Parts: sequence; structure tokens; C-alpha cells
Amino acid sequence: MNSKTIISIAAGVVIMITLAGLYTITLAGLNPMQKQVTPPKNSETKPQVCLDCHRFPNINTNEGVFASNAFCYDCHREKNCTRKIDGKEITLQITHDDFNKNQRQHQFVACIKCHTDVARSPHKTLAGAKCLECHPVHGESTAHDPHFRVSCQACHFKSKFVELDPKDNHIKLAHITLESKPISLADHTLADVNDLKSCEKCHFKNNRIGAPAAVLPSKSALCILCHNSPLSMGHPIFGVAMLIFLVGVFATLRFWYLGSVQGEENSLHRKISLSSESIWNIIFSRQIFSLLKMVVLDIIFQRRILKESVGRWSMHSLIFSAILIRFLLSLFTAVIFYFHPGGDWTLALIDKNSPFTAFANDLLGLFILLGILWAMVQRFIIKPVHVATENQDNIALLIIGTLILLGFFLEGARILVTRIPAEMASYSFIGYPLSKVFSIFGLNWTSIYSYLWYAHGIVGALLVAYLPFGKMRHILNTPLTYALEEVSGVRKEKRI
Amino acid sequence: METKTNQMHFYQRFHVLHRLLHIVIIVNFTGLAISGFLLSLSHYNWTKILVSIIGGAAAAGSLHRFCAVFLYLGIVVHLLWLCYYKISLKGILFGPASLVPNSKDLNDLYQNLRYVFGKGPPPLFDRFSYLQKVDYWAVMLGMQSMGITGLLMWFPEYFSTILPGHFVNVANHFHFHEATLAVMYIGIVHMSDTHLLPEVFPLEKSIFNGKITKEKLAAEHPEEWKRINLLKD
Repeated sequence: MNSKTIISIAAGVVIMITLAGLYTITLAGLNPMQKQVTPPKNSETKPQVCLDCHRFPNINTNEGVFASNAFCYDCHREKNCTRKIDGKEITLQITHDDFNKNQRQHQFVACIKCHTDVARSPHKTLAGAKCLECHPVHGESTAHDPHFRVSCQACHFKSKFVELDPKDNHIKLAHITLESKPISLADHTLADVNDLKSCEKCHFKNNRIGAPAAVLPSKSALCILCHNSPLSMGHPIFGVAMLIFLVGVFATLRFWYLGSVQGEENSLHRKISLSSESIWNIIFSRQIFSLLKMVVLDIIFQRRILKESVGRWSMHSLIFSAILIRFLLSLFTAVIFYFHPGGDWTLALIDKNSPFTAFANDLLGLFILLGILWAMVQRFIIKPVHVATENQDNIALLIIGTLILLGFFLEGARILVTRIPAEMASYSFIGYPLSKVFSIFGLNWTSIYSYLWYAHGIVGALLVAYLPFGKMRHILNTPLTYALEEVSGVRKEKRI
Repeated sequence: METKTNQMHFYQRFHVLHRLLHIVIIVNFTGLAISGFLLSLSHYNWTKILVSIIGGAAAAGSLHRFCAVFLYLGIVVHLLWLCYYKISLKGILFGPASLVPNSKDLNDLYQNLRYVFGKGPPPLFDRFSYLQKVDYWAVMLGMQSMGITGLLMWFPEYFSTILPGHFVNVANHFHFHEATLAVMYIGIVHMSDTHLLPEVFPLEKSIFNGKITKEKLAAEHPEEWKRINLLKD
């Protein structure tokens, strides 16, 4: 292309962008949304008929929302609109302008869309405002934890006063201040929940509702090895662990490629080309079936260890299978939470206190701990001939064992601190007894919980960082060795 | 090597990465086409039945976005490969063996038309014939515009802050009509000009196993064959 063509193309592009920009500006000037929408006013006085009140406005349209809300504001804008709770007079006064100022997000939503059970006789609410009809529950990434026993308003409303309702064990906004002065919640003012300071209305030292003393960070994507976790890195310490893990994997791969590949000694590009070519050829050949069989039998069911000894297989499987099942369960939870956050299964799986999740987590954790204990007994007490104890084995056992122990302590402390009722907590058959043991010691568990959480998180991060280095490298090495043996073994048979 | 009748002599035509990306495109393109047309033709009764099979309109939308992300990741990996090819392997991006159109393609087209009407010899193609180049650029450029219009519809709240709102509707029309074009292009042109040729029917295997026989290379890509032999000598 010569310079003339380039200049003419560039000029054409500039002219087109300018025209599009001018068009946009013109349209922006004609924006119909700038018109202020005002609610219909019903100032005329006329004789009331039944259908003035008992009507069904279509609250899926803005007009219907205004018509419906005008009916609510008719009474609720008055100063004498009050309610008596525990002998205290609490105002329910709210005007159209106040509401729209305090909850801009919901200015085109009818009152009865959220307050679903008030439009009836007697005019009284039992259910409160229903947020979950439209909004999904929070997963792990928001606010450290789904906070299932905390009502939406407790965090999202600006009022600072919260209480633990003994009737249903939920954290709710209180109707009185600490000095027993009544508070109105009718103004609907929202809190800035992106500001972590707003969490401190519950999370402070010696709070009365059983919240941990510190505002804890959320889990990290790394925690998916054992827990349901969000798709973010979380606290920087997990980022560092991930980085070390990746460096370790990269170093391992680099080490593998130091050797020669099919006679090629020098060029890394040729080595990668040749090895990927043979991997491709194996995947698209009959050998893939024998490899799949190997994966199921030798990796998932650990056939080769079983052939050596049933005892060693049981010990290794207690650790490996339990971690594998927890990993698959967490992965499944994360996937169904992404696709269907409000589903029954999702709610049961992301709730640590739901019977299945509480029981499964305790059982699988116990399996891992038993496996670790068994290995330790073998190494340090029985000391059979075939067990050659190395330092790196001890480090691996120590890290996993500490992680699981801290996990159980954390669970016990959580059950104690958040005062989960016995009928709910008893499915955690280790955590609940532990919480009872902890309650004997009159320590400040709301503060200890936070330290335990960080300890568990740090040991978890340490485990992930350690994976590609010491003993734990066998989860990369061993399957690869098996695969190579499987592939070359088939080739040997063919040669004979 | 030629003496052995049961052992053919192969040349490598595609690297593993390119074969993998081709499979990525096949899988995700098919997923996109199925979920996309089920969504856009939702006013027909038969699509209602089919969309319920894959889990409803919301699932079809999720599937569509999922496939779109992975298809575009394939494009990104391909671009990274091009950088690696240029910088690390010191390859030539614009030579006669590349996918960049040049004046020879026009001559080839003219020659091919003459050949079709029996007026001359068939054209001598280089590494990629002009039809293969069109196949490549149809996907490469089509994915950019499908990506842009798709993003406009995926995040209308964001884009309507910088563009007028009716751009979303325009994007919707572009997206649908270009999707129709793309599916028809792949289904009719790409399938017939590569896989329905009598010599290779039912499947052109070289994009899947990366190999091309010496005879096929000499017959279909004579210019490249000439260059390879020049290098050898």
C-alpha cells in the first residue's frame, strides 16, 4: 500500500468516527429519560367507593407502581402512622420523596412487591420485606460467608442497632437503641456495604449477638480443594501462595524438559513440539482407553497401593479419597451456585449448618485426620522395615494434620461464637462437642475465632504453596509416571 | 521411503496447537450456533421444545456466553502464537506461505475460473489456497464483529453509557444476520470446499492429524512443494 491509500483510509475512519460522535451528541440532547416522572396526585376530594382501595394495579408498569404506592403513602405519610412494639410507639411515617431519596434502586418498585403480605386485612406483616424473591443469596465471595442467619436489612440498612432474635435465631435490626429509645426503620435508608466499616456494627469486640470480633476476609479460590469457595483470590496471602505454586509447577515442567525428547537435546520448541505431537497421537488412538482405565483404577482407586498392602491402601485412601470427594463436592457446589443460586440443593450445599454439608464435612475431615494419625503411628511408633521416614514426609503430614485440626477447632469456635442452636449444630458431630468443650473455658472466643481463622487460612495457603515442592509433588509426578508406563508398556507388548 | 508401499511419507502441515484450536472452534462454534438460534428463533414452537431439552432459555443464554468466551480465548491464544512465531521463532508473517492475501490469490481465482470452464490448467497453489485464506479470514474477522456486537448485548447497561441505546438494537440485528452468514458459510462453503472434495471425502484429515502425504502436498500445494525441495537441495 502506498502512503496515499493509507491517508485516505485514515481520513475516512476519522470522518466516520466524527459523524458517529455528532449523531450520539444529538441523540443525547433528545434523551426522553430526562423528563421528570411525577406520581399522579389525588388531591381532589370525592366520595370514596370500595374500588378506590380494593383494586389490582398492574405493578409491572410504572403507572401501576405509582398508583399502588400512592395508596400506601396515603396513610404512611401521616405523622400519626405508628405501631406499638413491646409497648414502644414506633413511627411508620414515610413519604414518596423520602423513599425515592433513600432507595433510588427501588423507586420504580411497588411497596407490595417486597412487603408481600401487607395488602390484606388485618393490615399487618408477618414475613417482613422479601428481598430473596428478586435477589439471589450471597455466595462465599461477599462478606466472607453467606451469612444465612442474618437478615438482609441487618447489613443493608443504615440503622446501627442489631439484635439476635431468640425465636428464629436470626440477626435482625432492632426497634430500640441501646438506651431503649424507639427507632423507625420506615425511612429505608441503605448502608454503603462496600465500606467494610459498615460490617463493624456487628463485628466488634464483646458484641452481644455472637459475631466474630474482626471483619474477616473472604475465602480464596484456592480453598476449593476442600471448601466451597468464590472465584476470586481473596486475601493477598493466597495470591502469594498461588504465585509460589505456579512457580513450582513451572520449575517442575522446566526440569522435565531439561532431558532430551525423542533424541532432541537443545531446542525447547522442538522438544515441546515432539512431546505434544506424541500426546496428541495417544489421545486420538486406542491407547486412550487403557489410559482412562489406568486413571480410574490406579489413580482414583489406587490399585497399585492396594496390591502392595491393604493397610497402606486404607491409610492413603483415607487421606486421598476424602480430599478428592471434598474437592469434587466443592466444585459441584461452585458450578450449581453459578447456574442456580437460589436452588434447594445450592442452599443446602453452601450452608455450613445444613445437615448434609455439616455431616459430610465433619466425616471427611475426620477421615483425613485418621489417615494422618495412622501414617504418624506407622512412622514414629511401629516403624516397619519398608517405611523409610524422610523429613519431607513429616512436613507434608504435619501441614495437612495441622490444617485439619485447625479446621475442627475453627468449626467448634464458630458454633460456640455464633450460638447455633443444638438441633442445628448436632449434625456437626465433631464441631458441636468441641464447641461444648470450648464453652468450659471462659475465654474471649469471639476474638479467638478470628485468630483461628487466619491460622487455618495461612496453613491452607502454605499447603498450596508447598504442593509442587516436597513430598506433595507426588500428586503431579505419580500419575505422570503411571501414564508413561502405561503408554510405553503397550508399546513393548507390540514390539514382542 | 517411496519403495515401501504400506508406509506413506508424510509432511507436517499443522502443529498440535493449531489442531487443538480448530477443535476448540468446532465445539464452541457448534454450541454457539445451536444455543444462539434457539434463542433468536424463540417464537417458533419447535425451538421451545428444543430449548427445554438444553435446560430452558436461561441455560441456553449461559451456554451461549460460555462458548463465546472459550471461542474468543481460542482467538487470543492464536494471536499469542503469532507473536511467539514472529518474535521467538523469527517466522515471516507476510510471506507467500502465510495466510495474508496477495496478488497471486487474484490470479489463482482467475485461473481457477478459466479451469472450471475448461480454458486452461488448474492454478498452482502455495501453502494456502485463496479459498482457505477466505475460510481463515471469515472466522478471524467475523469473530471480532460477533464479539463486539455480542458484548454490546451482554453488557447493555455499560455500553449504553457511552453509546446511544439504539446501538444495542443495531448490535442485535448485526449479531443475528452475521450469525446466519457465518453458519451458512461454514455449513455450505467450508464443508464443501474442504471436506466434500472427492479425494478426501468424507473428511479432510490433515487438520486433525496434522499430516499431509507427499503426493497430496505435491498435487494440491505445488508451490510449497517446490519451495520445500529447494530448501533440501
